[in-house]
Amino acid sequence: MKKFATAILAGVAMSLSLANVAHAEGKTIAVSWKTFQEERWKTDEAAIKAVVEAAGDKYISTDAQGSAQKQAADIEGLIAQNVDVILVVAFDNNAILPSIQKINDAGLKAIAYDVQFEDPNALYITFDNVGVGRLMAKTMLEKGKTEGNFAFIKGDKGDPNATFLFNGIMEVLKENIDAGKIKNVCETFTDGWKPDAAQKNMEQCLTANNNDIDAVISENDGMAGGVVAALDAQGLAGSVPVTGQDGDKAALNRVALGTQLVSVWKDSRVLGKMAGEAAVALANGTAIDALPGVGKFSDGAKGVEMNAILIAPNPITKDNLNDVIDGGWISKAEACAGVAAGSVAACN
Amino acid sequence: MSSATETSQNPAMADEGPITRFFRATEIDTRMLGMVAALLVIWAGFDIYSGMLRPNEGLFGGSFLTPRNLWTLTVQTSSIAIMSTGMVLLIVMRQLDLSVGSMLSTIAVATGVLQVFWLGPSLGVGNEWIWIIAVLFALVLGALIGAFNGFLTAYAGIPAFIVTLGGLIAYSGIAWALIRGETVAPMDKTFKLIGGNGPLASIGPFWSWMLAFAACALLVMGLINGRRQRQRVNFPQRPIWAETFLAACGGIAILGITAVVNSYPWPPKVIETYAKENGIVIPAGIEDRAGNAICMAGEAVVRCANGLVYYTGYAIPVLICLAVGFVMSFVASRTRFGRYVYAAGGNPEAAELSGINTRWLTMKVFMLMGVLVAISAIVTSARLDAATNSLGQFNELYVIAAVVIGGTALAGGVGTIYGAMLGALLMQSLQSGMTLLNFESAYKDMVVGAVLVTAVFVDQVYRRRVK
Repeated sequence: MKKFATAILAGVAMSLSLANVAHAEGKTIAVSWKTFQEERWKTDEAAIKAVVEAAGDKYISTDAQGSAQKQAADIEGLIAQNVDVILVVAFDNNAILPSIQKINDAGLKAIAYDVQFEDPNALYITFDNVGVGRLMAKTMLEKGKTEGNFAFIKGDKGDPNATFLFNGIMEVLKENIDAGKIKNVCETFTDGWKPDAAQKNMEQCLTANNNDIDAVISENDGMAGGVVAALDAQGLAGSVPVTGQDGDKAALNRVALGTQLVSVWKDSRVLGKMAGEAAVALANGTAIDALPGVGKFSDGAKGVEMNAILIAPNPITKDNLNDVIDGGWISKAEACAGVAAGSVAACN
Repeated sequence: MSSATETSQNPAMADEGPITRFFRATEIDTRMLGMVAALLVIWAGFDIYSGMLRPNEGLFGGSFLTPRNLWTLTVQTSSIAIMSTGMVLLIVMRQLDLSVGSMLSTIAVATGVLQVFWLGPSLGVGNEWIWIIAVLFALVLGALIGAFNGFLTAYAGIPAFIVTLGGLIAYSGIAWALIRGETVAPMDKTFKLIGGNGPLASIGPFWSWMLAFAACALLVMGLINGRRQRQRVNFPQRPIWAETFLAACGGIAILGITAVVNSYPWPPKVIETYAKENGIVIPAGIEDRAGNAICMAGEAVVRCANGLVYYTGYAIPVLICLAVGFVMSFVASRTRFGRYVYAAGGNPEAAELSGINTRWLTMKVFMLMGVLVAISAIVTSARLDAATNSLGQFNELYVIAAVVIGGTALAGGVGTIYGAMLGALLMQSLQSGMTLLNFESAYKDMVVGAVLVTAVFVDQVYRRRVK
């Protein structure tokens, strides 16, 4: 047992010295993941790692396995390894705060990756979630309809995101609504964001308005599928623009076919890339508020003002369908199934 | 036929009032009559209310009692109604299936994966075998899952509530894992027609009328046959006037419903596309925005009163639903299997002692439930033209609610197929109607929940009175 402990200590010492060697060559960027069981984090990691290693720096990571205690220990370990920047995907955004204080005390830089914790010295980097709603509405105004009868198919009433999205949407449409250009003719929550429930709601909306619907704002792609099916039954699919989000494969195909206007896409690889770049810059001594794209953010629960990089999601329409195909998110064959030749540039 | 056997002339009943005598003579289920009346009141209420918000061409000036809305309503109801017919038998047998919603999503996703990722590439997209293979696959899969539930309940002795509660959780996991939460789309072109999404997925006025006439003939034959049977075993018969009255009412109902679905015109855009695709010439005419037909005013296609127009008729899923209802009613009331189900539900011990193999019977009923869920899975995924793991979520609640509103006692032994189907129609009417009126969804949930409890309460009061 004693021998075993010695062996471990020796191993730790060696890895520490190795880390020091790496430190001598370049900087070390660490990530403390909250859990690695969800598939999406692997995409994020690949993107961060690629940026860090391309800059000649070293990437190390720990997995808290869904435990706040383990995450605290992980971060202590990382500080001991003398890393330069620690990206933290917090499991518990309050319990993490003492650990963040330790990072600050050690003179290292902390980045809140995707999950916010409220520490004024840290950088917060995430997708602009409120912006998704604004982006849907903006794309509708720019590429769909600016006036007429609008239907709003909202998500589940128990999910706060459904309301956040709606607030963002209304913010953008408000001007045209107040001017009487846009009329809100139906507005309904959808049980469990279910596509078949959205289909029924849309059918009733069409019946109530004698098909006099000019545009549909659906809060995600699944429901947009139900909406398009209901429109299709009335021969209106393709002539009434429909919004969505998530970058669902079926939805991207509908975008190519022209039955859906837009699918707002949050590409976690972009998030990873931006975070990697910010980490490398911070490690090289760039001040937080001098980072590209940084702004102030104080919409957290406690209202602490932080430096934040909010990444705008990418609204995928017919015009930039290439982004998802070139990015390897969806194959060209899947995106372009059934699309008439020459109608969409990305499918040629 | 001897008049002494006619019920109305039985001296013991001479002192009854005319209304009681009428119901006794016609043997009409007054409970069902009450439900139909409630349904009609709700419909009229929605129509009047929606008319006050926005006048339309409904019976009372609203948009609820229009052929279009009633047609949509029947399509929206069919999936739950199909499943409710099986749930009636289960609940009558003192069993329950909580897993129908998750089963539906599993079957829908598996069938979707089969047609989109396997059959499409191997047979070629649009091959006419795809839908046949997909439908058979779904039915077999449904029967297998049902058999699994049934086996665990009947032979392993685990209570159905637990088995299917486990199924509710586990099958939804399977549905997610099969495609990792993605959406499978689009479905095969022919398969899609089963969903009845849009007028092209219905049989048209001619065949609708033919079916209606056939149904009327069947009704009359059924009445005559029933009378002969009663005569043969010397059973009291309905008076001739009552038989005629039933035939007339049934006939009027069948023809009336058919007339309604046949007067739902295709949406103008659909007519236009259809005409273009099939090289049909759109006649010239004068624009009339209220018209149902389309015509050419110069170069533009416009709506007009006289021009090219088609009517829908019965939607395919509604026909499937009616056929299922007919077959299930027959099975429940006219076959040995059906009688055993009611016997086993009324008194399991007595049924067992009288030689009914109740375990095998339980397993068969669960399998039947599985097949019905598969039919619903086909209808729902075909209608959405996509399959996802969220399809069918919460359906177990709606199915059980429909069955209970339809008068099936949770204690077992009592329940009718048509009652459950009417229950499904009532629930969907409430939901569709409130959506039509743009009700907030929290209020919708409150109303539906309250109606469920009220229906059972009224039912109990009614049963006590009758006794």
